[in-house]
Amino acid sequence: MNDSSKWDDKTIAALSTAAIMLGALVYYWIGQGQSTVELLELAYGSFKFFNNPLVF
Amino acid sequence: MLGSILSQYARTLSVAAAFLLIVLVEALGIREAIYPGLEAFFNWMNQSSWLGVIGTTYGSVYATVEAVHLLSMAVLGGTVLATDLRLLGVVFKDVPSETIVTGTHKCFKWALLMAILTGIFCAAGVANKVYFMEVFWIKMLVLLVGSCFMLFIKQPFLTSRPHAEIAPWMMRLLAITSMLTWFTVAATGRWIGFS
Repeated sequence: MNDSSKWDDKTIAALSTAAIMLGALVYYWIGQGQSTVELLELAYGSFKFFNNPLVF
Repeated sequence: MLGSILSQYARTLSVAAAFLLIVLVEALGIREAIYPGLEAFFNWMNQSSWLGVIGTTYGSVYATVEAVHLLSMAVLGGTVLATDLRLLGVVFKDVPSETIVTGTHKCFKWALLMAILTGIFCAAGVANKVYFMEVFWIKMLVLLVGSCFMLFIKQPFLTSRPHAEIAPWMMRLLAITSMLTWFTVAATGRWIGFS
């Protein structure tokens, strides 16, 4: 595969779109995870991943 | 010179223009300016349009259409998983990935069309509620961007050359992005149902 065909229009478009979308989706779900933890802390006082949050 | 670059990198420039448009819509407050004006349309959809009237009057019709909507999403998810897990080298290893990519795409397009058509009906039935849900707008945004990604970016790229010529990390990036996109569409869809 030569360099001119390696970075053609379709490749650059696919790479940039996938990177932007993946970054945005990961950011969204991390934000949702954080707000869920905050809600659980607000409701039960603490949140531990490996303990039942209802027992504190 | 400029015309040559424009035609040579039309797809990349379209992506850049779309991204710039999204940034401008957010930065200039256009989304906040448009949002209040849409409430009347959503109320009309729910209370006055024939879609909304049928959806709110006949529960059996709404349930039937919603069942078709869920089945369409299941087929769509199946095609996405079959394609992307093959690109990741997890399933169907004995079948060339080019065959899977081209074979599932037609099914994906029909499933997407059915999901959108039935989804409009389902949304009309609860339009006065979903208008106020942030998760509904997230779903619409991801659905729109994801559909454009699949139809105009991922599929044309994967069918443009033999997969042996594509870097493995590039295939993985496309597959993971695609799976996370449609997972988000499905998850936010169920989130609407439980809100």
